[in-house]
Amino acid sequence: MGIDLVGMEDVWILPAIPFAVFILVSFFGRLIPRNGDFIAVLGMALVVLLVGLVLVDFQGAFHDEVFAPIAGANTYSFDWIDIGDGFFVIEFSTYVDAVTMVMLPVVSFVSLMVLVYSIGYMKGEARYGWYFAALSFFVAAMLLLVISGNLLQLYLAWEGVGLASYLLIGFYWERQSAAEAAKKAFITTRIGDVGLLIGIILLWRVTGTFDIQEIIHAAEEGVFGQTYLTVAMLFLFAGAAGKSAQFPFHVWLPDAMEGPTPVSALIHAATMVVAGVYLVARMLPVYDEVLIARDVVLYVGLITALMAATMGLVATDIKRVLAFSTVSQLGFMFAALGVGALTAAMFHLFTHAFFKSLLFLGSGSVIHATEQQEVGELGGLRKKMPITALTFTIGSLALAGIPVFAGFWSKDEILHDLQHYGPFAAYVILAVTAALTAIYTTRLVLLTFFGKPKNEQAYEHAHESPPIMTGPLVILAVLALVVGFITYQGVGESLGFVGGIGELVYLPHHGPHVFKLDIAFAAVATATAVVGVAIGIMYWWGDARRAIAAQSWAPELHQLLVRRYYLDELYQGVINHVVLGAAAVVAWFDKRVVNETGVDGSTQFVGFLGYRFKFLQTGRIPHYVLGMALGVAALAVVAIGTT
Amino acid sequence: MTVDLAHYLAVSGIIFGIGVAIALSKRNVVAVLMGIELMLNASNLAFLAFSRFSGAFQDGTEPLAGHTFVVFVLTVAAAEAAVALAMAVLIYRRRETVDLDRISVLRW
Amino acid sequence: MTDLLGNDLNLQYELLGPEIALVITAALVLFADAFRRELKIGQSAIPAISILGLVVALLLSLLWIDENKDFARLVTIDNFTTFFRVLFIAVTVVVIIGSHEYIERRVSHLGEFYSLLLLSTVGAMLMAGARDLLTAYLAIEVMSFSLYILVSLAKSDTRSGEASLKYVLLGGVASAMLLYGLSFLYGVGGSTQYTEIAAALSDGTSTLELPLLLGLALIIAGLGFKASAVPFHMWTPDAYEGAPIPITAYLSATSKAATFALLLRWFAGPLLPAIDSWQWMISVLAVLTMVIGNLVALQQSNIKRLLAYSSIGQVGFMLMAIVTISDQTGSALLLHLSGYIITNLAVFMGVIAFYNRTGREEIVAFRGLAQTNPYLALVITAGLFSLAGMPLLAGFLTKFILFQSVVSGGYTWLVVTALLASTVSLYYYLQVIRQMYMYQPEGDASRWRLSPTGYLATGAMLVGVVWVGVYAAPFYTAADRAIAPLFT
Repeated sequence: MGIDLVGMEDVWILPAIPFAVFILVSFFGRLIPRNGDFIAVLGMALVVLLVGLVLVDFQGAFHDEVFAPIAGANTYSFDWIDIGDGFFVIEFSTYVDAVTMVMLPVVSFVSLMVLVYSIGYMKGEARYGWYFAALSFFVAAMLLLVISGNLLQLYLAWEGVGLASYLLIGFYWERQSAAEAAKKAFITTRIGDVGLLIGIILLWRVTGTFDIQEIIHAAEEGVFGQTYLTVAMLFLFAGAAGKSAQFPFHVWLPDAMEGPTPVSALIHAATMVVAGVYLVARMLPVYDEVLIARDVVLYVGLITALMAATMGLVATDIKRVLAFSTVSQLGFMFAALGVGALTAAMFHLFTHAFFKSLLFLGSGSVIHATEQQEVGELGGLRKKMPITALTFTIGSLALAGIPVFAGFWSKDEILHDLQHYGPFAAYVILAVTAALTAIYTTRLVLLTFFGKPKNEQAYEHAHESPPIMTGPLVILAVLALVVGFITYQGVGESLGFVGGIGELVYLPHHGPHVFKLDIAFAAVATATAVVGVAIGIMYWWGDARRAIAAQSWAPELHQLLVRRYYLDELYQGVINHVVLGAAAVVAWFDKRVVNETGVDGSTQFVGFLGYRFKFLQTGRIPHYVLGMALGVAALAVVAIGTT
Repeated sequence: MTVDLAHYLAVSGIIFGIGVAIALSKRNVVAVLMGIELMLNASNLAFLAFSRFSGAFQDGTEPLAGHTFVVFVLTVAAAEAAVALAMAVLIYRRRETVDLDRISVLRW
Repeated sequence: MTDLLGNDLNLQYELLGPEIALVITAALVLFADAFRRELKIGQSAIPAISILGLVVALLLSLLWIDENKDFARLVTIDNFTTFFRVLFIAVTVVVIIGSHEYIERRVSHLGEFYSLLLLSTVGAMLMAGARDLLTAYLAIEVMSFSLYILVSLAKSDTRSGEASLKYVLLGGVASAMLLYGLSFLYGVGGSTQYTEIAAALSDGTSTLELPLLLGLALIIAGLGFKASAVPFHMWTPDAYEGAPIPITAYLSATSKAATFALLLRWFAGPLLPAIDSWQWMISVLAVLTMVIGNLVALQQSNIKRLLAYSSIGQVGFMLMAIVTISDQTGSALLLHLSGYIITNLAVFMGVIAFYNRTGREEIVAFRGLAQTNPYLALVITAGLFSLAGMPLLAGFLTKFILFQSVVSGGYTWLVVTALLASTVSLYYYLQVIRQMYMYQPEGDASRWRLSPTGYLATGAMLVGVVWVGVYAAPFYTAADRAIAPLFT
């Protein structure tokens, strides 16, 4: 290939660009016209261009058979920190393979769309420049994450995206709920992150390396004990589940919708939340060695997919419906990974990124126009906002899995693989979830864009968004229509690839596979989606009489779903009663037991020695001394007991 | 009966225990200080006993490290008492009490 | 010259150059302060003289890099000593630069303050260098006595005297315990020299098992007090809150590091042969310390108390390195200690600058600081995030290396506990950060600036936090060379 300007070995430059933008805009934004928003957009455009060049180089290397696509290339590395004569080496290393090449276009392109859209959406907001700076920081961390060749670097980037997400969810920090949501997201994912870190340390302990490929080789050669590796991979999965909002960590994502809508489109639909999927996909060869851990991935994915879909049925906030939908779709991806279907998972990740960011941006357009985000206040907007309505509908059809739209192909692939490699029940659960997806998607579209306006004032106020916002919507809508076709061999070849996505992204020991449309299977999937849409139309068309009737038919069930299976309450209760409770107990111990109760006990001890001791007459210092004396005694007991 | 190392150590242990008991049962600064002095002296006794009964002392090659230690500890103890009493005076001037019960603004 | 037993004594006084220089400076400072009017010098001359003396001491310490000598069999001058000399001098310099305004306004007895600060630095340096139990004991007391008085020097703050009284009485009890433990150790080892105790203990001929165990328990308790390990930590929050803030910063940095220097010297030296006897004691102490420190920190509303409990939690992490002591964990500990000190000083210098302006130390007082002084908010945030272990800041990398070395030492369960405890810590650090960024300022919302020295101290620490976090290799090399003499 002719263009060697930027090749795979140069991918380190990708995160460097938005990071430079972040530094520039956050420190000097005030001095630059428009607070430097155009710098962020141009920087991102440059990244997209460079990703294109890398892609070309990747194809070239592929055709020249420099490496098998999945084997990838450890393209660039230097010892960042090497201390203690190799005892502790942190490399900066990049690794590019087909999985990376799925992630890079998604991250860079969706980021560009979101940045452009934000120019319109965030216009006139306070901290406008800071917004673009923080978003650039996020993109830098995310790009670093997907090109990381070793786990420690990945962890750094992982924390970076978490921090960026915290900053952006809490962007409207004047709102108490936004501040709380930011904290909830940060701490929930951090709990998962501790798991990830423990997993990384466990893997390092045996192999002595952080390099992902070396760890995979070690696992395949059976360096690890089976149980040890299972535990390590489960810890790793805890990190993935935290970031990707999988059960039981899913609670933070719906609340994260407190952030600006374009942020939700980028971080909580297309990029950060798929980092967990990416991590498991990256480590999938290792999960293949420990099937118990892989099964856990499958079950967590299934539970999350179904559970989130049911919660999406009753949510009334347009963005929360989409958030539940994201959680559910991520569950699809994990379920696919849980049966070892790398291709299907990455394919769905790819298509989902486009149509879900489209849906979020569309909902942002609605919120921007009406300043309402409860579906109870919307309705009939298709007349006022034709472009938004059309693109949103396209995105919804893709999400619902209607044929030819992108979501159909990837979801079909997942269902197909589950039926072949997974237990039958798993297939049934995901099929039901697919139908539910179609139902809640239809509901959302109908309640927002069809029927009569429920809030006349908001309706009157509504208007189509400016071109700078509808432009990205249209582009993403086109993509939501067509990206699914890359599953076809012919389409892939005409784009310069070896073939369809199945021939590009696969596990070495599974080998590539050429996509063939299984008409019967596709017909079943299509029927499921169509039935779902039909049910949605039946219940929510017009004034949604049937839906309301259904609600009063089983109020407890409805309440259970609205309250999200009471999991949020449960967690809050646990935090309040266990963590803060334990803290209170310890604090109480410090001030009471050491203070009063302990004295009663010690009275007898000291009294035994013949000293006069007065009840409740001692001050604090004696209690401290008592604590120390008891401490020494305890230490001596430990010493004598263990020797 | 010969008095040997164990007896010295027993006495020193008893003195140390008494010192701890005083330190944690008295509420007067000066009394607590006295408890601490007892603890220090228990250590001194132990040092001297160990020094006296070490093999090196018996054959005349003992450098008397334990004895030396005691001399220094005595000075340190004096300094300690001086500092603590100065603090007690400081507090007494401000609060008119040296009752440890009532010196507890700083807590939890 | 020889001693009674005919050992050669090396009396090269220049080996003690840094200590001598600081003692002379301390005397000069006292003198200059007493005759300030006669000498016609301003208040700011006192910190200037102190810094000058410290710089001289720093240069004198650097003379002995890669040497390995001892002074009269009492003090070792090796890379380990040099490392800590440099560290302690640097801490004192930073504290003086960052807080001289605070000291001028809110501390009584200026001359005594600086002079005692220098003397306690001398004590800390000798703690790191001692090779004899007596030297070590005296060094501990020199450092501690200076600190007892320093804690009491906050002007017109009744808490200060109380804090000092608690510190001195409890410190007295602790040092009595330590001394009693040392007497047992002397009895078992037959000498006060580290090397000879080590030899005696590894002989295994000693029949004094019980005195050794009791001695170890008492020694660990005494040092646990100085390091503020639970359950010997109770003085820490009180003393931290009552002391003038620069002394709080100093307590959390030098006093803690000196204790760990001593712990390393003892547990990698004379006490190493008895490792089976103390490993469990320190593990228990480490777990208690990290869990209780982090949990109680959740309940705090005063920034100094919060930092006190957070520093207790950090001590728990550091104790893990003593449990699995080796040259790897040793250097990891030294690295973490330096990173922790830089981070902690960044936070404290920020808090001092804030206190200079507002005179408040409750956490809620930090509301809206991001608007009134974004730079200061950034410094404090970077420091707190580093303490919480966020990547690219010192706290993550050094803690990670420390944890890793403990895992290699075979104590994975300790590290898992530590990771869980450090998750809790994020919660309370975030509370402070939230106050700064997510609330409107109360009252006066106008922007304000730090003094030039305030910018210097906070800026240097901020750079340090990021530098260690991004590129720790030079620090690790230094730590590695410092720990080497202990394991040869």
